[in-house]
Amino acid sequence: MASKQKNMTPQQQNYQTLQQKHELKRPVLKNCIKAFFVGGLICMIGQAVSYFYIYFFNFTEQSVGNPTVATMVFFSMILTGFGVYDRLGQFAGAGSAVPVTGFGNAVISAAIEHRTEGFVLGVGGNMFKLAGSVILFGVFSAFVVALIKTLLVMWGVL
Amino acid sequence: MINIYRWLIGTCLLLLAACNHNQPVKDSSLALMKTTNPSPIMTNQKKDSDGVEEIRKEVSSLPEIYDVAVVKGKQDTLVVYKVKHLHRFKMKKIEKQVNKMLEAKHPKENFTVSSDYKIFLESVRLNEHIKSSKFSQQKAENRFKEIVKMTEDLK
Repeated sequence: MASKQKNMTPQQQNYQTLQQKHELKRPVLKNCIKAFFVGGLICMIGQAVSYFYIYFFNFTEQSVGNPTVATMVFFSMILTGFGVYDRLGQFAGAGSAVPVTGFGNAVISAAIEHRTEGFVLGVGGNMFKLAGSVILFGVFSAFVVALIKTLLVMWGVL
Repeated sequence: MINIYRWLIGTCLLLLAACNHNQPVKDSSLALMKTTNPSPIMTNQKKDSDGVEEIRKEVSSLPEIYDVAVVKGKQDTLVVYKVKHLHRFKMKKIEKQVNKMLEAKHPKENFTVSSDYKIFLESVRLNEHIKSSKFSQQKAENRFKEIVKMTEDLK
């Protein structure tokens, strides 16, 4: 940092001090609190959906995860289509992106963005532009964890 | 306009709450959210239920467990419990512990142990059906077998 400043011209240094003076500070704590509560609210809705499936359908605690995730992703996709989830994302940041609903938002927002390029090359080709990395690393990390668990079970640790 | 919506939603909520006032609430409808501690029951109600009550007391005595349902069928005995939140990381260990304890104290019984919420809920529902005489002995036994089969699918 110091060497960078040495290389700067006096004009550049003046500009930097001016920029630092006017730069808005990010309200990190406020953003964290917002993310915490909105993320928690989304998870609470997810818990209610899973209880709904346990009460009214034949899902056990172990198998209820699949329909719950599908429902939450579906709802977030619908809300993204109506433009509601984007507003929530602006307000809550990571609180709306980290839960599984963020995945649905990533898929649909990319599809909407590239709609003008056509259905095949636009929507089809770009739909998983953001969510693709989530799927790739999700599948890969699941594979690694399953491999470790299998080995631990084989060796009698678990 | 927003105020009208607020009033409408508020009125609807009030009406819904008022309609719910005198409805008897079944234990099973809140079984996942509050402690129900259903009395142990047998599908054959003519038999003496002291043995099942003893099983319930033994399982309840474990500090990690807070809600226990025991249903005894013709051959199997189903023991379902809820685990306190901070102990849920050790679910398998607790299940082994409960199994071991029950097999040591009641070697002649055949136990099915589970901590799954769905199994707990179905046990409470079966308990209510048997008590309200909605189920005949045979029907209760069949439903009991279905619940036991559900626990086998979990393994």
